[in-house]
Amino acid sequence: MGWSRFFRRRHWDEERARELDAYLEIETDENLARGMSPEQARQAAHRKLGNSTVIREEIYQMNSVVFLETLWQDARYALRTLAKSRAFTLVVIASLALGIGANTAIFSLINAALLKMLPVRDPEQLLEFKNLSPVFGAYNGFAYTAFKEFRNRNRVFSGMLAFFNLDFNVTLEVSGQGGVARGQAVSGDYFPTLGVRTIIGRTIDLRDEKNANPVAVVTYNYWRKRFALDPGVVGKTVLINNSPFTIIGVTLPEFFGLQPGSPIDVSFPLTTYPRVVPGMALPGTQYDILTAPFRHWLSVMGRLQPGVTKDKAVANLQPVFRQAMRETAAGQAGMPFDSPALQQSYLSSKFRLDSGGQGLAALREKYSKPLWILMAITSLLLLVTCANIANLMLARANARQKEIAVRLTVGAGRLRLVRQFLTESVLLAACGGTFGLVAAFWACRSLLSLMSRAGALLSLSVQPDTNVLGFTLFISVFTALLFGLAPAWRAVRVSIESTRGHGGSASRSGLGKALIVLQIAVSLVLMIGAGLLVRSLENLRDFYPGFNKENVLLFSVIPDAIGYKGDQVIPVVKRLLDGIKRIPGVRAATFSFFSPLSAHGSTRPKIDGPVPQFVKATDSVAINEVGPDYFSTLQIPAISGRDFTDTDQARAPKVAIINETMAHHYFGDSSPIGRHLSVPDWNSDSSWRTIVGVRKDAKYRNLHESPAPMLYLPLFQSVEGAVTFEVRTAIDPDRVVRAILQAVKATESRLPVSDVKTLTEQIDQSLIQERLVASLSGLFGLLALILAAVGLYGLMTYAVNRRTGEIGIRMALGATRGQISGMVLRETVQLVLIGFGIGIPAAVAAARLIRSELYGLKSDDPITLIIATFTMACIAILATWLPAKRASRVEPMVALRTE
Amino acid sequence: MPSPKAHPLEGEMLQGTLDLLILQTLVLGPAHGHTIAHVIEQRSEEVLQVEHGSLYPALHRLENRGWIASFWGTSENNRKARYYRLTAAGRKQLIEHTSRWDRLVRAVNRVLRTAEE
Repeated sequence: MGWSRFFRRRHWDEERARELDAYLEIETDENLARGMSPEQARQAAHRKLGNSTVIREEIYQMNSVVFLETLWQDARYALRTLAKSRAFTLVVIASLALGIGANTAIFSLINAALLKMLPVRDPEQLLEFKNLSPVFGAYNGFAYTAFKEFRNRNRVFSGMLAFFNLDFNVTLEVSGQGGVARGQAVSGDYFPTLGVRTIIGRTIDLRDEKNANPVAVVTYNYWRKRFALDPGVVGKTVLINNSPFTIIGVTLPEFFGLQPGSPIDVSFPLTTYPRVVPGMALPGTQYDILTAPFRHWLSVMGRLQPGVTKDKAVANLQPVFRQAMRETAAGQAGMPFDSPALQQSYLSSKFRLDSGGQGLAALREKYSKPLWILMAITSLLLLVTCANIANLMLARANARQKEIAVRLTVGAGRLRLVRQFLTESVLLAACGGTFGLVAAFWACRSLLSLMSRAGALLSLSVQPDTNVLGFTLFISVFTALLFGLAPAWRAVRVSIESTRGHGGSASRSGLGKALIVLQIAVSLVLMIGAGLLVRSLENLRDFYPGFNKENVLLFSVIPDAIGYKGDQVIPVVKRLLDGIKRIPGVRAATFSFFSPLSAHGSTRPKIDGPVPQFVKATDSVAINEVGPDYFSTLQIPAISGRDFTDTDQARAPKVAIINETMAHHYFGDSSPIGRHLSVPDWNSDSSWRTIVGVRKDAKYRNLHESPAPMLYLPLFQSVEGAVTFEVRTAIDPDRVVRAILQAVKATESRLPVSDVKTLTEQIDQSLIQERLVASLSGLFGLLALILAAVGLYGLMTYAVNRRTGEIGIRMALGATRGQISGMVLRETVQLVLIGFGIGIPAAVAAARLIRSELYGLKSDDPITLIIATFTMACIAILATWLPAKRASRVEPMVALRTE
Repeated sequence: MPSPKAHPLEGEMLQGTLDLLILQTLVLGPAHGHTIAHVIEQRSEEVLQVEHGSLYPALHRLENRGWIASFWGTSENNRKARYYRLTAAGRKQLIEHTSRWDRLVRAVNRVLRTAEE
């Protein structure tokens, strides 16, 4: 059949009509010739031809793609019926938009953070190099010397690249204007291997790497933010950490680096890293980051040649890796921090290639669990939504029994009728899905801005892509089938039964009841899950972190940014401190390198004298450098010894303070006061320091961590520039912010102040992920509860209406109004109890899966279980209250008359 | 042409038969629907009654397949009528269908005769 016929089928139909008319005329003529009267002749002709409409219909169908044709009919019919019951349609579309929207929003986040491929050429060919060491785990990188060797001896990759994503801000000054940027140091083949091109200028190349040219490439985003898309940016000289660099290009808009969630602003050749951060690179020493084989700082990726397997690539590079590890071990021999255990760990390190097309794994690992939890929660919410809509559809199908019966009688196929119902479901789901998609992107944006406003460094692109659109399409169709199929089939079957009697109603409410039980059970699971997450968030917030978190104001300054270097920084800081302490309302003030509950360093200390047998040279401890009166300001309780004071200066005897866990680990029951240790790998100073104090444990990075050994050194010299102040106030800390800013300005007018916040705000920020998961799951749990209540209300109202006659009879026979409403309530209680019977064990099982996200309570926490169950029961009774009351108000005479 | 779809044998045979008869009728020359039905009935000595309800759909089907073509003409009684004629493809089909029909009839006859013995 040609398509031209399909599109011209109306024309063909007219042709046939004319042809059949012609036949009738000819036959009539013949009949007249046989001697019939004109009337008889015409009637005989008609009889002979039969029903001309049926003939035309048959031919018409030959001309149409029957499926399309009837689909269009179904769709039009569905639109008409849906438009007629506007309230029903609106309710269904709104709840679908909510359910699908929630799922799409969470999936968009999962897609952006976990699934999406990097916006580079053929990302699936990229492999990430892994150096798995027994001591350092998977977080160990590669030395620059090793990378160069990989590159020289490579026969399996069409390109290789190395980079270091600085996990701190660099200062970037443009024509006298200070500012910060996220930087990365890259090899010369970084951009060519990725296939990332520039919008203007050129990218960094191998010559830049070889000659350590001070050149920089900025991302499009930074170009927009900092340079207002000025095309004259190429050739401009900027100061990165006070070292001059020339901008040579701007990358295309989609490029953000290789770590989803922490986008970079500026890239420079890795050989220029010593100019940017001399304190870390230590050029010219045996620790020089560009030559020391034991400084494993680089992430390495390669683009596999077509036709080469991963195993072959590993085999090819294995000898190079072994050699590099031998050199690492040899290179650090004789260093202050050397030990046999460390040597051994290098020699037994393993080499692996992982797929790198989605970027580095750090973000995926951090966010995958909470995101999958949210995905599970939203899927359950969608299930409740579907159950609710299925119930509505059932009620509607019931109301349409007459129509269905008529259509069946005049010969509609049953499958065709099911399809008609499904068409309605699909149409509804399509509308719900469309609105859901819009809602999802709005929700995603606000979620992300909420998270980044609270300081979490998470920047993801949540533009709709084929993954997200496909997902939404899939769940829309899936939900349509889920809520549409059973009611459709039931409606058609019921109608046939109902022509034989009233058997249908009972089975309708049977399915309806099953759906309500499902809703109650799933809602309860969601409520209990949300309850557990909310309560553990509360536990975390109320938790005593080892210091007094009330009334502490934090802020940071970067004296580097206005030209103070090394030794000059701390005198400035101390001058600022004096000014701050004079402010009325300030009780004490100090400063530190890492602010509390944000981060800490890590070091492997060497201990002078005997240590317990289980102590290994590779054991590492957390480390922070802090100012005078640090412990008294934060109110970290003392165990023994003293605090740091103003006399602990660069030229004074070297001292250290340790926490309880560290004291116990290294010195057992003996007193650590007066013992000596050194931390050469932290500050390349191998001279001994005297331990002068022991302090109680606290939380250092986040509230989840278990007690860890911690070492404090006095802060003399700022390496990376930023110093955080901790100010203890007698009054609300917000009320001294102004005075503090003025005091800083009075001392150093050009010094920028950043990150002003209270310590409790900082704690809230460290809980951003937990709070997000808890509040979203709470919201979704509440929605599920409301949906279940609405479903229950609908079912009971329907049941009461159906049984009006029966109720009338009961009342006529003497049942009291109380008995009647009791009867209705009893039915609800039955359903709720069955729902609880399924829901509680399911919730306990599900809670075990999120055990690792819970804090301070068990997965079967009885209080949460009781509260959630009680709330659910109350809401269920409330939802039945109105129908029950209506039942008790039935007037027996009226009821019997309507029957 | 091999049958494009696997119809039940019975339906296939009957439908195919009407198609064959229409094609054979048109060998004599162009004719309109009424004539075609008439000719088939006469030549089968009224044994085969053509259902008009299936004649026109059959004509349409054959035209769709390109075996016959149609045009508007004037009937014997000076009335407008839609005429059908055999196309080259239709002629080929007729030959194939006829030989297939012959084989079928022979085969059925053989079976029936064996049964009588």
